[in-house]
Amino acid sequence: MTADSMDKKRGIYIHMPFCVQKCRYCAFLSFSAEGSPRKEYMDALEKEIKLRSALERERGTDKPADTIYIGGGTPSVMDIAAMSEMIKTLKRSFEIKPDAEFTLEANPATLGRKDGVMLAKLQAYKFMGVNRLSMGVQSMDNDRLHYLGRIHTAENVARDMEIIRRKGFSNVNLDLMFSVPGESTEDAMRDLERILALAPEHISCYSLQIEEGTPFGEMAESGELTEVPDEEDRETYHRICRRLRDAGYEHYEISNFAKKGDDPAATSPYRSRHNSLYWNMDEYIGLGLGASGFINGVRYKNTSDLEEYLAVLEEGRLPVAEEHRNTAFDNISEAVFTGLRRREGIRYEDAVRAYMDAVDAERPEILPGDDFRDVFWDIFAEAREEALGYAGRGLLIISDEGLKLTEQGIDISNSIMSLFV
Amino acid sequence: MSYLDNIRNFSIIAHIDHGKSTLADRLIEKTGLVEARDMKEQYLDNMDIERERGITIKLQTTRLQYKAKDGQEYILNLIDTPGHVDFNYEVSRSLAACDGAVLVVDATQGVEAQTLGNVYLALDEDLEILPVLNKMDLDSARPDDARAEIEDIIGLDASEAPEISAKTGMGIDEMLEKLIEVIPPPQGDPDGRLKALIFDSYYDSYKGVIIYTRIFDGRVKRGDTIRMMNTGKNYEVTEVGYCIPGTVPADELKAGEVGYICGSIKQVADARVGDTITLANAPADAPLKGYKKAQSMVYCGIFPAEGEKYENVKDALEKLQVNDAAFNFEPENSAALGYGYRCGFLGLLHMDVITERLAREFDLDVITTLPSVVYKVVMKDGEVLDIQNPSNLPPAALIAHIEEPIVKADIMTPNEYVGSIMTLCQNRRGNMIHMEYLTKTRVQLHYEMPLNEVIYDFFDALKSRTRGYASLDYEFLRYQPAKLVKLDILLNREPIDALSTIVPEEEAMAKGRGICEKLKEIIPRHQFEVPIQAAIGQKIIARETVRAYRKDVLAKCYGGDITRKKKLLEKQKAGKKRMRQFGSVTVPQEAFTEVLKLDDGR
Repeated sequence: MTADSMDKKRGIYIHMPFCVQKCRYCAFLSFSAEGSPRKEYMDALEKEIKLRSALERERGTDKPADTIYIGGGTPSVMDIAAMSEMIKTLKRSFEIKPDAEFTLEANPATLGRKDGVMLAKLQAYKFMGVNRLSMGVQSMDNDRLHYLGRIHTAENVARDMEIIRRKGFSNVNLDLMFSVPGESTEDAMRDLERILALAPEHISCYSLQIEEGTPFGEMAESGELTEVPDEEDRETYHRICRRLRDAGYEHYEISNFAKKGDDPAATSPYRSRHNSLYWNMDEYIGLGLGASGFINGVRYKNTSDLEEYLAVLEEGRLPVAEEHRNTAFDNISEAVFTGLRRREGIRYEDAVRAYMDAVDAERPEILPGDDFRDVFWDIFAEAREEALGYAGRGLLIISDEGLKLTEQGIDISNSIMSLFV
Repeated sequence: MSYLDNIRNFSIIAHIDHGKSTLADRLIEKTGLVEARDMKEQYLDNMDIERERGITIKLQTTRLQYKAKDGQEYILNLIDTPGHVDFNYEVSRSLAACDGAVLVVDATQGVEAQTLGNVYLALDEDLEILPVLNKMDLDSARPDDARAEIEDIIGLDASEAPEISAKTGMGIDEMLEKLIEVIPPPQGDPDGRLKALIFDSYYDSYKGVIIYTRIFDGRVKRGDTIRMMNTGKNYEVTEVGYCIPGTVPADELKAGEVGYICGSIKQVADARVGDTITLANAPADAPLKGYKKAQSMVYCGIFPAEGEKYENVKDALEKLQVNDAAFNFEPENSAALGYGYRCGFLGLLHMDVITERLAREFDLDVITTLPSVVYKVVMKDGEVLDIQNPSNLPPAALIAHIEEPIVKADIMTPNEYVGSIMTLCQNRRGNMIHMEYLTKTRVQLHYEMPLNEVIYDFFDALKSRTRGYASLDYEFLRYQPAKLVKLDILLNREPIDALSTIVPEEEAMAKGRGICEKLKEIIPRHQFEVPIQAAIGQKIIARETVRAYRKDVLAKCYGGDITRKKKLLEKQKAGKKRMRQFGSVTVPQEAFTEVLKLDDGR
């Protein structure tokens, strides 16, 4: 382990690829829970946890985790008993810091039909250590929820929130989706108001992306569905940003907003610590089907084939499908394009440190006393002219310390980021 | 009895995909010259592109030995012909080297336009024709109908036409016996002055140009100094021999024989198809008839794509030219595309083949501009200019009138499609000369059409409107005055010379609109509005706008899959490299070729 990676934060991501039913826009890895090998999956996952932890120990790359994130799919459809066993295994296998952020993704209407069941389920999650819930609300309009293929209603969300609060969860994220076909900016703003009324600590907002291979993708192809025009989509986005800022939320990442704490000048205590790992070149272990990890300069990704995942673990091997040791350029490039998602942008110093962090024979030596800014622009000399062009158009701010996107720059962030890959 | 009596020089003529190459394969296999394991499918078509498209472009010739039922050993020289209208001249020279031809008719399809075209070329060379009915192994074979068509349309007696299947080998022996009987042996005086016809040539990196030739009179051997009678150039013969296939050296070639000659010739243009070879020290009094210089009918610009070196393109074009006398090029400079070449081709297929070879054999990334024909521009001062590049068209005020090339197009079709073909031809400014019923159900339409209308996608349009049943043959007829204008395309108010075309005045509006709409689809959104305009002179006749884009942002990286996001960004960056920058507007390279595929439903 290099000296620098000692200071890196560490997270654990666990993927649960099952849902009650697949939404019509969803291109992620998930299966209908009914009839799927959920039990076998949890068994396999426990095996993976043990194998991975043994490997990290052997390599000397184990270290206490700052965050745990269980995502999906819909983790809340998994059996509580199996989940609890898995978490026990996780805690026995990896050291978890006492103040770790522990997020569970849950979808409305999956936590139990009866209040009693729901309270008990939430209690169980609390026992497991979950201290942050992320709810896939998407919309508070029942027609739109139905159109998206979601199984819940706005009433479900309201009731779930009430019980979640009653159970004492004080760090809750709600996902909000906008630019659903047929949805106007005004519709989206109404949705947002109803979300705000629930007073979540964190809101994730993103526009619907129509992906190939989904029912929505096919509908777009056949002309059955008309995408919201870009102009309107961006208008909605900027109005949402304004409204959330006014409502006391910190816009800390392109799609993410966190309620400010008692000191409005300070960084919000409700930022997602786990997602921040991704934008800071921190380390994370990925567990489960199709999960990605980044440990000690190596990015890996598990197989996305469920049968293969189960079979490989049955044989006692890790289900890694791809592995890549980052070069110095990979590191700085990723530091820039992930870092630019943060509203504070990137610092040349951090980017160059990421560069120097890689074990890469090709990397030129950087001498102490070299100016980070100069080193940075030497590496990206080809991109400089275009970057200045973006700056001139008010889309990118280039300072002595680093780079950041303006709110207008976010709209075309991919074009700007692609300068640095 | 002379050695000549045991030689037969013949071609196989057929409509495209009626089975010519398969038959040639079968003959080679039958006469045992190529081991079965060396048999590639369609031996004679040896360029990949030829095999893929099932067409023959470069000729091959093969000497076959056949022991006939009369106990005698015969030398059968099979001389291949190209199978496309672009190469009519080459077909005629190949036929001139023969004494007879085997006419292959697909028994499931009957006679088609090209069949007839090729038969006429054969008749012009005074060839004896042996009709054979192919694909007899198929259930859909209608030999009696095909026979009737051959008799009614072509006028040949088909009653004894062998029924064969080139695919299964059925009837091949009978066909060979019939061939020896019907096709006459060559005539000629081996002791006369050398007269040898070049019917093909290709470049070999070891031997230089290899000339395929038919000796009419005299003899030629290694060490002789030969002269090309039309170009006047002399060469010393380094090798002669037979094509068995491949090149097998022999002592000499003499009258009546078919073989090859090498003489350290550097490029095929110096051994042009149709030229006559004689001996420098004892020349024949006159060359053989029929020599024509290759004439380019279609031109287009070929430019190195972004990141491709001009030198590489030049090298590749030179290499292709060494082997293709019909292809020519000269440097051209475009404001939009930079330095490149203006290239001349026999036709659109020829152009396709060359551009495809650039990509495939030379791994080059090139931009091909809209094809154009050669216009005769008559100036007010009486001067006549040949213009094949729209950007070189002088200002309208200086032009008296413009003439465009007209072709004679013969279309053969089942009668049920006559209506839609007539509509198509009318929309392409075709002028019907007459129409004849060849049989009760088959019709031939004779049109005069501007070549310009034929070169884009006429053939495809014809095929799609007739479910592939119609066939086309065309040849240049004359130049004819026409009301033509230059249509310019402006991006962000800047004219892009590589997108200019010459179009009929009455169609300018529709064409302009079509191109603008197409470009609107192709040109990506910018951060500002990009107007696309079509103009004639100063007058804007069509306009579209690429709206400014407002959005290029992705949702969060799910589960920390940074690699996926990175791949997307890399793809985006690579995509940008394939763009051309025109001022502030970025245009994907395919724009220049995509506007060609302007399917306006005509």
